[in-house]
Amino acid sequence: MIAAHLPALQVVIPLIAAPLCAILRRGTAAWVIAVAANWLAFAVSIGLLFRVLDEGVISYAMGGWAPPIGIEYRVDLINVFVLLVVSGVGAAIIPFARKGTEARFDSTNQAWFYTMYLLALTGLLGVTITGDAFNIFVFLEISSLASYVMIAMGRDKRALTAAYQYLIMGTVGATFIVIGIGLLWAMTGTLNLYDLAQRIPDIENTRPVLAALAFLTVGISLKLALFPLHLWLPNAYAYAPAVTSAFLAGTATKVGIYLLLRFFFTVFGGGGFFLSTPLPEMFLVLSIVAIFAASTVALFQNNVKRMFAYSSVAQIGFITLGISYATETGLTAALVHLMNHAIMKAGIFMLLGCVIYRLASMRIDDMAGIGRKMPFTMAGIVILGLSLIGAPGTSGFISKFWLVLAAMENGQWWLVALIVIASLITMLYVGRLVEAAYFREPSEKAKNVREAPLAMLIPAYVLVAATIYLGLDTTWSAGLAQDAAASLLSAAY
Amino acid sequence: MIEFPPGLILILGALPVPFLRGPVRTIWMLALPVAAFVLLYSLPEGNHFAISAFGQQLELLRVDGLSKVFGYIFLIAIFLGVIYSLHVRAIEEHVSGLVYSGAAIGAVFAGDLVSLFVYWELTAISSVFLILASRTPEALAAGMRYLIIQVGSGVLLLAGLIMIWHETGSIAFEHIGIESVGGVLILLAFGIKAAFPLLHNWLQDAYPQATPTGTVLLSAFTTKLAIYALARGYAGTEELIWIGAVMAAFPIFFAVIENDLRRVLAYSLNNQLGFMVVGIGIGTELALNGAAAHAFAHIIYKALLFMSMGAVLHRTGTVLASELGGLYKSMPFTTVFCIIGAASISAFPLFSGFISKSMILSAAAHEGHYFVWGVLLFASAGVFHHSGIKIPFFAFFAHDSGKRPKEAPLNMLIAMALASALCIGIGVWPSALYAILPFHVDYVPYTDSHVLSQVQLLFFSALAFTVLMRTGLYPPELRSTNLDSDWLYRRVGRSILQYCVQTVGSMHSGIYDLVVRRCKRFVEQLYRHHGPHGIIARTWPTGSMVLWVAILLVTYLALYFIDIF
Amino acid sequence: MREEQLKPDNAAVPAQKGWLERKENVTKIAWALYVVCAILVLLDFLIHRHAEMGFDGNFGFYGAYGFIGSVFLVLVAKYGLRPIVKRSEDYYDD
Repeated sequence: MIAAHLPALQVVIPLIAAPLCAILRRGTAAWVIAVAANWLAFAVSIGLLFRVLDEGVISYAMGGWAPPIGIEYRVDLINVFVLLVVSGVGAAIIPFARKGTEARFDSTNQAWFYTMYLLALTGLLGVTITGDAFNIFVFLEISSLASYVMIAMGRDKRALTAAYQYLIMGTVGATFIVIGIGLLWAMTGTLNLYDLAQRIPDIENTRPVLAALAFLTVGISLKLALFPLHLWLPNAYAYAPAVTSAFLAGTATKVGIYLLLRFFFTVFGGGGFFLSTPLPEMFLVLSIVAIFAASTVALFQNNVKRMFAYSSVAQIGFITLGISYATETGLTAALVHLMNHAIMKAGIFMLLGCVIYRLASMRIDDMAGIGRKMPFTMAGIVILGLSLIGAPGTSGFISKFWLVLAAMENGQWWLVALIVIASLITMLYVGRLVEAAYFREPSEKAKNVREAPLAMLIPAYVLVAATIYLGLDTTWSAGLAQDAAASLLSAAY
Repeated sequence: MIEFPPGLILILGALPVPFLRGPVRTIWMLALPVAAFVLLYSLPEGNHFAISAFGQQLELLRVDGLSKVFGYIFLIAIFLGVIYSLHVRAIEEHVSGLVYSGAAIGAVFAGDLVSLFVYWELTAISSVFLILASRTPEALAAGMRYLIIQVGSGVLLLAGLIMIWHETGSIAFEHIGIESVGGVLILLAFGIKAAFPLLHNWLQDAYPQATPTGTVLLSAFTTKLAIYALARGYAGTEELIWIGAVMAAFPIFFAVIENDLRRVLAYSLNNQLGFMVVGIGIGTELALNGAAAHAFAHIIYKALLFMSMGAVLHRTGTVLASELGGLYKSMPFTTVFCIIGAASISAFPLFSGFISKSMILSAAAHEGHYFVWGVLLFASAGVFHHSGIKIPFFAFFAHDSGKRPKEAPLNMLIAMALASALCIGIGVWPSALYAILPFHVDYVPYTDSHVLSQVQLLFFSALAFTVLMRTGLYPPELRSTNLDSDWLYRRVGRSILQYCVQTVGSMHSGIYDLVVRRCKRFVEQLYRHHGPHGIIARTWPTGSMVLWVAILLVTYLALYFIDIF
Repeated sequence: MREEQLKPDNAAVPAQKGWLERKENVTKIAWALYVVCAILVLLDFLIHRHAEMGFDGNFGFYGAYGFIGSVFLVLVAKYGLRPIVKRSEDYYDD
């Protein structure tokens, strides 16, 4: 009985929990509700995964109204994969959120923060699960509005500016997406993704459809922070509260990637269409520039959070690089890295949150010598940093491995070399942090700090453990991703 | 019978070390290699431990003659290394030493290229801490250079293995050869770790910067792991004979003029590797046995020499030849052990180098490589010259520096005594070593003719040294930096990089002026006329983002439309 | 010797010439070496050599090779290599 309604529950649980938090106005109670809601959502995602593996694509008519009149929730391997990542990363972040928010906000504001968190989660899960184009826009707006508030709640004054910029850019992006969707609707008369996918191939070379594609491309590129539309991201991540940074890094951009795949491959008709457009070349160039430009900028950052924010832009470049191949291996690489990067980057931002909690600074010079003061926190950052580099035994290695494989399949040896060089740059900026933390005398600020509380370390270490586990066993990352990639290419939906 | 990879015993065994104290830690750390040794001794040939990952069968415990002999010597080396470093308080050195040796042993028993690669990178990552633990700025810089080069070697290995996997569908680590591109890449990867000429300089750069105890461990594993890998994958590859000959000859010239005695040892380490590479290149049973035997003997006497120099460094704070001399008066035991190590590397009869190096020379002569044989003979005289004479002479004798340090700590002396005993034991009873070599041995090192030849060679080298010293022709020990191939990346590379940064920097500011300032002015005007408040300072960055959006939208529209018309 | 050992590490003591530092003793050692070398060459007459390659059976081959090789090595290193590669100790530091 419940199993039949899993698709609805995926969105409804956090959606109901959010106002509940707001009504209660008590930090602790709101936190308990948020944890329960997020864990339930994760459980629902797992349930959905097993159902999809069992029976294939699930179509669920919201409120019993059959599509195309009603709104359809449609779950296949691709979006259940992303649902898992989003709800899973959230499930690790939310227990961690308690200590940090408690120290910063009064009880009412805590409740407010969890409300916004749950709304953002609702939005992201909704975007991923829905089978309706306009519904995508609605959920995207819910999640965006909630995340603006979450960023603006950062203690740094610049957080407000960052949130404002994100708001402008997010709104522009959403507007572009809605224009694109509108054009498609005008041409086909449907908003249902499945119907769109049936009708578009006949008219895909008409101008309005191509204009729609252009608007969607730019709008979605903004959401996923593809270079050069990434400018909102570094400040937003750097000045937001740690929980927000971890959550956005792990989920928001990843849902953007999902939208990209969904529109380009499912709606517009598989790998063939994608390859017939100039997109592969465009993405290839932008990805490479993203990887190198952002990594180089990261190298020179003195704010560690900003450094890892730029690193996110570079890592997104790796994902879009995989997409640009439009081969099974390439898409597998993109999906695998989507999952692995979500986990490792969320973990890094959480552990940086531990550092801020004790040190109240993100300057690399203040973090000197912190390796001895906060051994577990730094050890976790080092492990996740190794994964970012792509060291064997970590999930980052699996990502790079698939990406290299994809490049070689296309005979692009020079790209293999570039990927390796990019890893070396990553090694340099991670190395800079390691050098400061372990091989320098403790800074004035670092002298008196203690290890972070277990309530923060344990959730972060869940992600560290996941990073190592996914480096050894790839059944749930590459295994699923391969099947998902195959269905993307054939535009099966 | 227990079937478990001995390397993993050391790696997993290193984990509890930070939580142990005092004698418990000592016993634990000594017990690890002993346990692994007993386990290895009991294992018959064959594949014993497989796991599956990446959809492939990973063989973690391939036991055969070749892997067994390297496994034994690596375990002996870490046992000696643990004793030698017992006085060290820094936990990270103990842990990284154990993990490093475990990774090297794991690599030796890896039956496939993927697990070889994983262990290969692990040796790089774990060993760098032995260099960084010196905590000097030079060590930090050298450690980073070392790490980049070592990880680079692993990346080449990875690239090669993927190509071979694609071509053959198998990841088994057997003979590779240089017929395929993948094979060449892997040879390059092995060559970096084996310090092939021009790929060698990380060795002389990093080893002298490590801690006294760290260098002892470094000298044992990384390069000999590469020798093992070459013997497995490239035996009989003719190019290796020439590479090895160059390798045996050229470092000794640098060693003569080098002042840092640990760097002298690093050069002679490089030269000894040359002998082994020649043996692998020849590839006959005798030559391969010789390479394995020489690696075995070499690890012990090289560790012994590094131990004695480490003791000097530990007590006096320097190993510069120009600062030392006359130490035999207060460090008599260390002096004796150093001389035993020197006699072994010089291949005096009754010392270990004699019974192993001669196998490679004989193999070269048997196969008619007379020129290479001559080069190796020259290199033998040369190695005696700088390792056999120069090291003990300038450290312990020569002119009295006035330094009177205490004798080395007891644990160092015990480690040196054990190593010395092994050096002499192998030299006197070679049959024990010959028995564990990969192929059957019917080689007799002690013939009167052979002994006489070697003694003549060595004594006349000593005569040359004496004559040159007494006539004042011998180059004086000078404090200096000697350029080597690292100059290419430390100077030329840096200059090029600086040039590029400057050029790109000025280009960037030029382009910035041109494009961004103009755009800015455009947006400024836009805002002055159309902006709600005209606060340019705050809205400008957001404006630039929107500009990018517009540019991209136009680009995509143009591209899509061009496509259909 | 006892007193010296009690001193802290590295303490410089007035040069106290040991047996090995005296010039006449060094000369004695050198002469001993010359004699041993001479005997070793003469042993070539007594011991039959199975020269595998032919040229290595010549009288005094190994001695000459060792001596000439070593002198060559040292002189090339001193006059050939050192002028090219020698730089000041802090060459890389700037």
